Parts: sequence; C-alpha cells; structure tokens
Amino acid sequence: MKSSVFHEINAVVAIAARDITRSLKSIQSLVISLIFPLIFVGLMGETMNQNMGQGLGFNFLQYMLVGMVVNTLYQVTIAGISNLVEDRQNDFTQEIFVAPISRYAIILGKIIGSSFSSLFQLVGLVAIALILNIPLGGWDFVRLLLLSPAICLSAGALGILLVGFVQDQRTAQILMPLVIFPQMFLSGALIPVNHSTGILNFLSHIIPMTYVVDLAKAVFYWRDPAYDKIVMHSPMLDVWVMAGFFFVFSILGTVLFARAERNR
Amino acid sequence: METIIQVENLVKQYRKAKEPAVRGVSFDVRAGEFFAFLGPNGAGKTTTISILTTTLAKTSGTITIAGYDLDKQPKQVRRNIGIIFQNPSLDLELTAEENIRLHVSLYGLYPYRPMYRLMPADYRKRVADLAEMVGIQDHLFKKLKKFSGGMKRKLEIVRSLMHRPKVLFLDEPTSGLDAVSRRSLWEYLKKIRDEENMTIFLTTHYLDEAEGADRVCIINQGRIEMVGAPHELKQQLISRYMLIDAADRDRLRQELEAMQLRFAETDNGFQVRYDGPTPQAIIAQLQTPLSKLEVYDPTLEEAYIRLVTRQEGGMGA
Repeated sequence: MKSSVFHEINAVVAIAARDITRSLKSIQSLVISLIFPLIFVGLMGETMNQNMGQGLGFNFLQYMLVGMVVNTLYQVTIAGISNLVEDRQNDFTQEIFVAPISRYAIILGKIIGSSFSSLFQLVGLVAIALILNIPLGGWDFVRLLLLSPAICLSAGALGILLVGFVQDQRTAQILMPLVIFPQMFLSGALIPVNHSTGILNFLSHIIPMTYVVDLAKAVFYWRDPAYDKIVMHSPMLDVWVMAGFFFVFSILGTVLFARAERNR
Repeated sequence: METIIQVENLVKQYRKAKEPAVRGVSFDVRAGEFFAFLGPNGAGKTTTISILTTTLAKTSGTITIAGYDLDKQPKQVRRNIGIIFQNPSLDLELTAEENIRLHVSLYGLYPYRPMYRLMPADYRKRVADLAEMVGIQDHLFKKLKKFSGGMKRKLEIVRSLMHRPKVLFLDEPTSGLDAVSRRSLWEYLKKIRDEENMTIFLTTHYLDEAEGADRVCIINQGRIEMVGAPHELKQQLISRYMLIDAADRDRLRQELEAMQLRFAETDNGFQVRYDGPTPQAIIAQLQTPLSKLEVYDPTLEEAYIRLVTRQEGGMGA
C-alpha cells in the first residue's frame, strides 16, 4: 500500500518535472513571458490608466497587475494542460498511458507541472512592473503568490475538462482563444466589471475565472481602503464556487479524458 | 512451456464502424517465445496489440498476460510488458536520458531526481549498459530533435527494457527505417532477447523479419487464419520443389516416373515436388547425370501472400 502510494507520487513528480523541464528549456515561453505583460500592462494598461484610470479611487495599473498575475497563472496552466492534446497527436500519451499508474496521477502531475510553468511566467510580469514603476504591494503581493496554488488548481481543472472534450490539436487551437479571451475580459482581471449589466453581468457570473480573480483581489486588497470598490463577492463565496468548479471539472474531465483514450 | 499471453474470444467493435475490427480471436503465446502476429492493413493487428497493451478497451473476450487478468489487474499487466509503438512515443523536447528517466519514474523503478547525476548508481549503470548495447551512449544527453529515425527506435528499445519486462510488444518497429537501421535493430533485438530471455510479440509488414519467429499467427479481416511455426505454414500453403534438368531428358523423366514423384516438365527442366523426401534423398537415387539443380525453398512471404490472396479470392467468390 505504502509503496503503491509512493509509486503514484513518484509518477506525479516525474510528469510535473517533465513540464517544468520543457518550460525552462523553451525560449518561446521566456519571450512570451515578457511580451504579454508588456502589451497588456505596458501598452493597454498604461493607455487605459492615462485616459480612464483617474478618479477610480485606486491605482489602476496595480489593479491590472493583480489581474495579470491571475490571468497569467490561469491561462498558462490551461495551455499547459492542453498540451495533453498535443501529446495525444504526437503519440506521447501512449507512453504515459501504458505505465502502471492511475489516470489521476497523470492528471495531477500535469496540473502541478503546468502550474509551476505558469509561475515562471510571472517573472516577466514582475520585471515589467518594476520597469514601469508599478507598486507591487510588498506583503500583499506575497499573499497573492501564496494563493497561486489555488489559482492553478482552478485553471487545471478547467484545462482537464477541455482536453476531455477536445480530441485533436486543431480543435484545441480554435477552442482555446474562445475559452481564454472571454474570461480575460469578463472576469474583472484587467477591467473592472462591478458595474456590468445584462448579458455581460450574467456571463461574468457564470465563468469560473471571475471567482478566482475576485478571491485574488480580496487577498491582495485585504484591509485596503479600496477593498469595497474592487472586490465583488465574499471570499468564502469565491472559495466555495472555486471548489465546486474544481471538483466537477477535474472529475468529469479526467473520466472523459481516460475514456476518450481507451474507448475509441 | 508456460503460457504468458492467453487471448480468448477477443472482440473489438469500434464505435463508428459497421463491422468489428477483431472478431472472436483466440491464441496463446508461450514464455520466451518469439511470436509474430501478421496480417494485411486493416486486419486487426494494431487493434489487438493496442488492447493487449491496455491502451484500447475491448468489446468482449478475456485476456491474461503474465498471469494477470487484463480487466481486473491492468496495472500488473503494464508492469510486466514493454512496448515499442508503431509511431515513436517520445518527447522530442527532452533529451534521450530525460525520456528514460521519465519512463523509469512512471514505472516506479527509481525515485525521480531532477538531474541524471542525482539518480541512483544502479539506474545510471543500466542506462549506460543498454545505451552501449544499442550504440547510442554518445547521444544520451542530446535533444531528440537531432535524432534520426533509427536512433529514436534504439532509444525506445533502451527505454522499454529498463523495467525488465516479461513481454516486449513490437508494433511494426521498423516501419520508416532504412535497410541498414532495420538490420541493426534486429541484431540488437536478438542480442537483447538472448540476454534478457524475454517473450517478443511482433507485428510487422516485413515478412522476412518474421522468418526467425518461433511461431507465426496470421490474422485477416479480424479472424485468425493460421497459427504455427514458419516452416509449418510454408509446408501447408506452398509446395516445395526443386528444378532439375539433364542432357538426357527422357531417361530423367523415366526415373522420376519410376520413383512416383510429382513433377512437371517445363522449358527450364523438371519441377519436382519434395513434400515427403528431401531433395538430397531424391538426388541420391537418380542415375541420370544432371545438368541443373536448383532447390526452391519458399519464403514466409510467399506463404503469407498465398493465404491472404486465397482468403480474398474466397470472399470475392
């Protein structure tokens, strides 16, 4: 029993390490980690700050930085998990699927690996923040980083659900932007959505990332005078919704993924 | 000899297919045997091997591998098998050694360490020994993107042997390889088989690769057509003959008739079938001086083509 548990943990570590190794070797990831914050925070954020950010009652660039932290962790983790689709097409999953380990170990390893890879991407974001002189917030930022495992788990569960449904890389490439961009704009990660109404308000309430962003902002702006202007829900509600999405998505996604591999 | 793979009434019906890909197949493989599983495209070879290696669910039937039930004990089955897939299943972003390290960690052989030099000495020795055996010892720490098709196959062999499997499945292992790489791959496999004493389950389109098999199983249209040693299959399917000729053809004909042999006279000489006596026994009895002697030994490929085309003819009839 003990050796069986150790075996599963060892497999999880190895699968996660594979993703981390790939991520560290990827020059493309390094370039993206610098370009995306530069575009979103440096260009889009600074423009919005200069033209619309005055009178909000809080530092808009810092608000956007927190959103970008969540967004980076969330999107990079989902993209990492979706590599399973690429592995499937490159026949690499055969190697993993014939190994004497549980399907849950594969998925968990993938989530952890993608999560660490997403953390590396934050380096670029922090560098851009320092260059643009955006206040990181000291301990507030540390608290935010401590929340990162929960952010990555939420994203990982959504990623697993996607690979459970998507069988080929081409479909994944079409579907990914459809999943990523609406969440980026409707969750409040980059732009406040407190005053959204109608369909936009409805959509922002049903997407999982809204609650992740809200919890992250609650943690970052804890005891800040701007807390009430920024945070929409009670942190407990955010936690419960995140937990609900996590269990439903990860269990359903794992079952669908394993079935799709074997039941052709 | 102990049975290591037992397949009974295996059926696989793909979801969107009208006909089953495998229709009630039964066969067994003995421990230490070199078993070749042959058949034309779409015969059900890859489907069967995918089911045996647990990557595809079957529709019905029972399978036991190394004493473990495939349905109830899939992990134990996986622990006892090694696989070289039709398409290389390697991570091209990693080095050769990183691929091996991932494999041994997935099989629980060694605790994962982030660097090669931190891995146990036993692991490093096994990797070095196997890599040397297949000749990739100088490429262990290079990215696979720089590897040729043959080198990737060799790496897959090393990887599949790390956990000392009882059965090694080879699904068209030489497809896409040039003649030199094919030959060297088989030399390594023979060496490994002798040293590790493992069962080899091979599917291939190259029939010459199956000539050295202990037994050959031919599947066609989802059904087993024939199982036996290559020479048995040849005997059953192809008549063996020798071609002889003499300056005095009449005398030779009379001798052949007197010996009650089946023969046909052609422009090139006499085609004499030798299903019973050996060519040597026939020649020893002949008094007529021969001007030509060619012993025709049919190949497995000819026997296979005879069987498959006979089936197709039968289906069409």
